[in-house]
Amino acid sequence: MKTKELVCIVCPNGCGLEVHLSEGESPEVLEVTGNLCDKGPGWAEQEVLNPMRTIASSVLVQGGVFPLVSVRTDAPIPLGKIFDVMREIKALAVDAPVRIGDRLIEGPAGTDCAVVATRHVERA
Amino acid sequence: MDETRRDVVVVGGGPAGLSAAVAARRSGCRDVLLIERDRILGGILNQCIHDGFGLHRFGEALTGPEYAQRHIDEFQDLGLDAMLGTIVLSMDRGRNLYVSSRKGFTKVSAGAVVLAMGCRERTAGAIGVPGTRPAGVYTAGAAQNLINLQNIMVGRRVVVLGSGDIGLIMARRMTLEGARVEAVFEILPYASGLPRNIQQCLNDYGIPLHLSTTVTSIHGKERVSGVSVARVDENRRPIPGTERLVPCDTLLLSVGLIPENELSSGARVELAPRTNGALVDDGYMTTIPGVFSCGNVLHVHDLVDHVSEEAERAGESAVRYLDGGTAPVEPAVPVTAGRGVGYVLPQRVSGARDFVLSLRVTEPSRDRAVWVRDGERKVARKKMVRLHPAEMVRIQVKADKMQGAGRLEVVVE
Amino acid sequence: MAESTNRFDVVIIGAGVVGNAVARELSRYDLGVAVIEKELDVSMGTSSRNSGVLHSGIHYKPGTLRARVNVLGNEMMKDLCRDLKVKIQYIGKLTVAQDETDVETLHRLKEQGEANGVPGLEILDRDGMEKRQPGVGGIRALWSPTTGIVCPYGLTIALAENAHANGVEFFLGREVTGVDRDGEGFQVKTAAGEIFQAKVLVNAAGLFSDRICGMLGIHEYRIYPCRGEYLILDKRLQGSLSVLVYPAPRKGGSGLGIHLTNTVDGNILIGPSNEYVDEADDTACTAEIMAQLKKEGHELLPGLSASDFIRSFSGLRAKQVPPEVGGFKDFVIEKREDVPGFINLVGIESPGLTSSPAIAVMVREFVSDLVPLNEKKDFISERPGRAETFAELSPEEKADLVAENPDYGEIVCRCEQVTRKEVQDAVQNPLGVRTIAAIKYRSRAMMGRCQGGFCLPRIVQILEGDFGYRPEDFLLFSGNSRLFEGRVREGLHADG
Repeated sequence: MKTKELVCIVCPNGCGLEVHLSEGESPEVLEVTGNLCDKGPGWAEQEVLNPMRTIASSVLVQGGVFPLVSVRTDAPIPLGKIFDVMREIKALAVDAPVRIGDRLIEGPAGTDCAVVATRHVERA
Repeated sequence: MDETRRDVVVVGGGPAGLSAAVAARRSGCRDVLLIERDRILGGILNQCIHDGFGLHRFGEALTGPEYAQRHIDEFQDLGLDAMLGTIVLSMDRGRNLYVSSRKGFTKVSAGAVVLAMGCRERTAGAIGVPGTRPAGVYTAGAAQNLINLQNIMVGRRVVVLGSGDIGLIMARRMTLEGARVEAVFEILPYASGLPRNIQQCLNDYGIPLHLSTTVTSIHGKERVSGVSVARVDENRRPIPGTERLVPCDTLLLSVGLIPENELSSGARVELAPRTNGALVDDGYMTTIPGVFSCGNVLHVHDLVDHVSEEAERAGESAVRYLDGGTAPVEPAVPVTAGRGVGYVLPQRVSGARDFVLSLRVTEPSRDRAVWVRDGERKVARKKMVRLHPAEMVRIQVKADKMQGAGRLEVVVE
Repeated sequence: MAESTNRFDVVIIGAGVVGNAVARELSRYDLGVAVIEKELDVSMGTSSRNSGVLHSGIHYKPGTLRARVNVLGNEMMKDLCRDLKVKIQYIGKLTVAQDETDVETLHRLKEQGEANGVPGLEILDRDGMEKRQPGVGGIRALWSPTTGIVCPYGLTIALAENAHANGVEFFLGREVTGVDRDGEGFQVKTAAGEIFQAKVLVNAAGLFSDRICGMLGIHEYRIYPCRGEYLILDKRLQGSLSVLVYPAPRKGGSGLGIHLTNTVDGNILIGPSNEYVDEADDTACTAEIMAQLKKEGHELLPGLSASDFIRSFSGLRAKQVPPEVGGFKDFVIEKREDVPGFINLVGIESPGLTSSPAIAVMVREFVSDLVPLNEKKDFISERPGRAETFAELSPEEKADLVAENPDYGEIVCRCEQVTRKEVQDAVQNPLGVRTIAAIKYRSRAMMGRCQGGFCLPRIVQILEGDFGYRPEDFLLFSGNSRLFEGRVREGLHADG
């Protein structure tokens, strides 16, 4: 049995969790201890087996009052896919105007999310 | 010189200023002016493109610009007035502000002023990092501005000094943009930033965090070529023999934020040494009648949601002051920071209304309680599973619990 | 033979305060004058890195060159700064005695000063001392009213710009690598292969003056760089000091004799220290000295807090004697008979700043022995503009300026209240220097408590938008001190 230690981030309590995993190629979560509430174990299992993240970055804007529009993924993506998604973000250029919420990339790198604009960029 | 008079003038158009202005308007004041030195509203949030803002206030994890836009939309929907690209150069006790913009240098007289200027970053010069003075040394916030707003990359091989959230966020940002972040060094024996950021900015990318370590020298004649780092003892002094050289071309500093109170000092607003922000009462009024302070210029916040809340109270108080309400119901009860507490504000309260105490503890701990005491009598108490200096604690205190209290002390037990 | 094409009557090596003072003095005459400087801007050596004090002349032995040019230079500074629009204040100095031995020293200094022609010297009792500086310690003090403060880099830049306005050509970013002599004079060679022909050659190379001597076969001089570190304090403390206060010098005194100095801009300097270093460009700052300076600062200014320290810097003194020998050597200001046409300035450390106008006059006398000097009818003695910054004007003056030119209304550097117009003027400086440091030294932007945290991004915007800078064009002070590493996103870059 293997054990991983995590600090839970679901709420500010920051419980120190111990995640007990089975051995082998595809470990299973056997038990989670240290949590004060019942949200912890679910989060911990996801975090250990398939950590998910939202990322934020910038996309080049042409003809706008700012050179970049800040963007984020509108849903978490697997940690391992971050740089694949970044590659698509870096390759993109959009024309002004851009509005908050505009979906600039659908399902980047095969993930289940969209890259959306997080600020308005008016035309220059 | 042109002169105008306004009822409520808010200095600063970030989340604090925007909230205060909206609250003032909602409290019934129809003559509110907001003054902002940048050409756009939003303040520092414009460059904080990462998410995590608004979990409390909106129940969503927004990015900085999105959170700012919520406030900006409210501000504009109410038809509120803003002078953009305008800086307040000085203010006097009579609430006369001298402002400068491309349109002119003018005097604005205010019935009430809400100070919401935010804060600035502590610099390499201020902490006295020895060594040379090459190009490539930046405070994390300045680098963030250049990268996120101006499409300029500051370097390719980075060392971060300071494990505060800004440093952690920038470590991730630089990595996502193709730079190599060698390490984050933190002089304290514990990280200053949130655990979430340690995980998602450092651990995710294999960036090492070295505690009890600091930068002892900058190298490089023209551009940074490396930094020397050394472990430190319990007095934060470098331990001889532990020095090593870390090659890099960029040093980012995340070594603290300082409320930007130059304007306040100029007007002789009394500042509290522990916060570098104004001494305020439970209406967030400073020692100058009719002058209020809120947001990062009052004390450095970690959650912008709290900034908005605090600023709303300040905006409401400003209008009450104008209506003659806040006047001397003497906020005569002093509030002091006791054992385990770094600072608490407001530093004096009237007890006539419910109020909120904001405080920071001096060191990390678990399973404690924060007590608000009047001598031996308990006035308020908050149980905390986790306490950390990086996470502000807020305690509601009910007016009916004050019962003629003489002085309040806040302690950790 | 390389194409020379650069023929001048006088070539000055080194654009520090002395080289520029000489250039400005010579620009009164119908002469072809060139200044060759290895850095990308003027005032990049010791001239920018000192206390900015105009000494009275009490410290030097009568009859020395040092004493003579100090007192003369001090007198000349008032009119010079008025004409060049440089901020100057004759704030006066108290040299303080703690015991009777010190008091004897004060009397000796007074006599020495009077022999040197220093006016207004007075020994003060406690009352007199308190009047000048409330709370000052000590039992007696020597009051020297002609001690003053000036902006050292401001003066050096102003001298260069006025010399330039009067026809002096500045060749910046050129390191002199060798000097040949022929029948007509000198062939000064630079690292890039340029050759400057000069009838008269003036060595004002400061920390590198011994190297220039070596190129001419003169090996009797050697420069030993001696570093002085400083701390700069926040303007919040302005007013803590009315006058300069120095301890009476003691033989073999312990400690660094650290003192506080006001600057004309309202900061306070702590320092300098004293440490011989190996390299003539080693202006690093050390942990040990900074700690010592901080400690002394807290002792001298009880209200000081940790957040009052803005920055540290250091400067190098061009000493002519090594540490094991100690003592002083007088200034070398000579016209060499063994190398006709060569005017040699070596070891111009303190009071070099104060003495610079007087040294320039001495050099002019030497030049007049070598080439005919005809005064120009159209010499421009005054520099345009004003000495004060926008921030120092009255509200009414500010309002008028902004109404005339909106660029004055836009504040770029919040800490120092530097306007867009002043930044633009600094970028468009007459010498054509395009570094970030050039903007800093001419406008004061980035010199405040936030050290560019707020204003650098705004200055970047102005340089990109108004002047077409690309990321690779941003140099801090030299060719390899690049601020940036390209763009975050390449491609068509939209201007904001």
